[in-house]
Amino acid sequence: MTATATPIQFGIFTVGDVTPDPTTGRTPTEHERIKAMLTIALKAEEVGLDVFATGEHHNPPFVPSSPTTMLGYLAARTERLILSTSTTLITTNDPVKIAEDFAMLQHIADGRVDVMMGRGNTGPVYPWFGQDIRQGIPLAIENYALLRKLWTEDVVDWQGRFRTPLQGFTSTPRPLDGVPPFVWHGSIRSPEIAEQAAYYGDGFFANNIFWPKDHFKQLINLYRDRFEHYGHGTREQALVGLGGQVFMRRRSQDAVAEFRPYFDNAPVYGHGPSLEEFTDQTPLTVGSPQEVIDKTLTFRESFGDYQRQLFLMDHAGLPLKTVLEQLDMLGEEVVPVLREEMAARRPAGTADAPTHAARVAQHEGAAV
Amino acid sequence: MTSADSTRPVRLAVVSAGLSEPSSTRLLADRLAEATRVALREEGVEAEAGVVELREVATQIAHNFVTGFADARLREAIEQVTEADGLIAVTPVFSASYSGLFKSFFDVLDKDALAGKPVLLGATGGTPRHSLVLEHAMRPLFAYLRAVAAPTAVYAATDDWAARDDDFSRRIARAGGELASLVAPHAAAGTSPTAEPDVVPFEQQLAALRVEE
Repeated sequence: MTATATPIQFGIFTVGDVTPDPTTGRTPTEHERIKAMLTIALKAEEVGLDVFATGEHHNPPFVPSSPTTMLGYLAARTERLILSTSTTLITTNDPVKIAEDFAMLQHIADGRVDVMMGRGNTGPVYPWFGQDIRQGIPLAIENYALLRKLWTEDVVDWQGRFRTPLQGFTSTPRPLDGVPPFVWHGSIRSPEIAEQAAYYGDGFFANNIFWPKDHFKQLINLYRDRFEHYGHGTREQALVGLGGQVFMRRRSQDAVAEFRPYFDNAPVYGHGPSLEEFTDQTPLTVGSPQEVIDKTLTFRESFGDYQRQLFLMDHAGLPLKTVLEQLDMLGEEVVPVLREEMAARRPAGTADAPTHAARVAQHEGAAV
Repeated sequence: MTSADSTRPVRLAVVSAGLSEPSSTRLLADRLAEATRVALREEGVEAEAGVVELREVATQIAHNFVTGFADARLREAIEQVTEADGLIAVTPVFSASYSGLFKSFFDVLDKDALAGKPVLLGATGGTPRHSLVLEHAMRPLFAYLRAVAAPTAVYAATDDWAARDDDFSRRIARAGGELASLVAPHAAAGTSPTAEPDVVPFEQQLAALRVEE
């Protein structure tokens, strides 16, 4: 199967926070927020984006505790959108259940599924799922090694430190076309995650939201070097995803005025630096669509040409209507230009974005 | 670069948490830096001292707590400290300890950033009664950070600036001499710490767990 190659995929990722709208003081109900997330995901497909990714959280004020339930619904309501996570907790989910859930989702969505592994950043979540927080890193390593085995081997005998042994176990359904979902490893700060992604030849997703550029540059360079070191291809063939965060209005000053109260009160970075300081130091862009295009185009100069760009659009209490307007602008005015400009600037030999079709073709090529 | 006769100047970072301008904290910091420079020169080593006035990055330090990262200006200050061969750290005494600003700066450093770094401790106060702050608050902080603190730490009360006897000056000179002998080997080695992230190869992590592939 020779599907048209996509050099870079654009999409959105959501944390799923329930946050009061600082301009009205109103907090949406969990039900409203969950329905809003679904509407936002459907809108992503409507405006021509490639990817929707949801976070996984198990404590208020976050709602997305059950990503494959949500993504299963979206699979039925969409046709092209790739459904993903940001992130799936490899430490506290049983790898057997991850293997099953995401293989099932692959079948339902005809392969439009990938998954981003993360360790999570909420310590207390470990005991909620019967795990020991002191074993965070070893759990991530062992669980992921088992997950790969469950996806690539039909019958698994396995013994490890953290779960009961498996004897002659077959995880069902088997991955679609014998090709497991593509895996990204998400990281905010750990070089260990870049190393793990490189070791397996998986994708590396740099959250990129909070830290200054140099920090992520170091992580991505490390991942690219180690990807080559482990023989998966050249540095340019390594599969890199980046986060970003934008708020747009036709006129730059309108965007700034409207977004400021959301920025100033945002749970993650509010009450700190000014909007101007933060946009200067991080990928956050608040301005016109053209300003978003210009800033996003600088990412490839810092990090090399990459395969996936996800934007954080629905957070900090922004109303649904506003988020949908943002997605219209993103899909109609920003992404088409970025696709064209990035494709034109891309050197030969840069990897295309991973799709199920391309991976099946590669898998069949390798099997011949 | 590594030969003994082409030694580079050693770099001293001087961190002052004084709030007024001029401040007696900065005054003490400068005297400690000068004493260190003099002692190094006697050993044939040149020194460059760069000053970090925490007052100037106070807002950036607060932002770092809120956002989780240092902005460009604070990063410059942090790098000046972490890349130095030796550190002179001086704080005013507030409420029986180092100042909140002083502690906050060291709170935003990576926990390993000062490991093995020679450091000279100083504190200032309105009365000599607080002088043990050096031993009961500052020294444990730098012990936690695994810095190598010089045995002599210098406290300056208001009276010390007016004292006629040379005790205070002798103490400063002794402290400077101690820091000098701790940092001088860095000049000979010509080495400086690197900022590259080091990573345990993944095979080693798998092997440690005996995870089968």
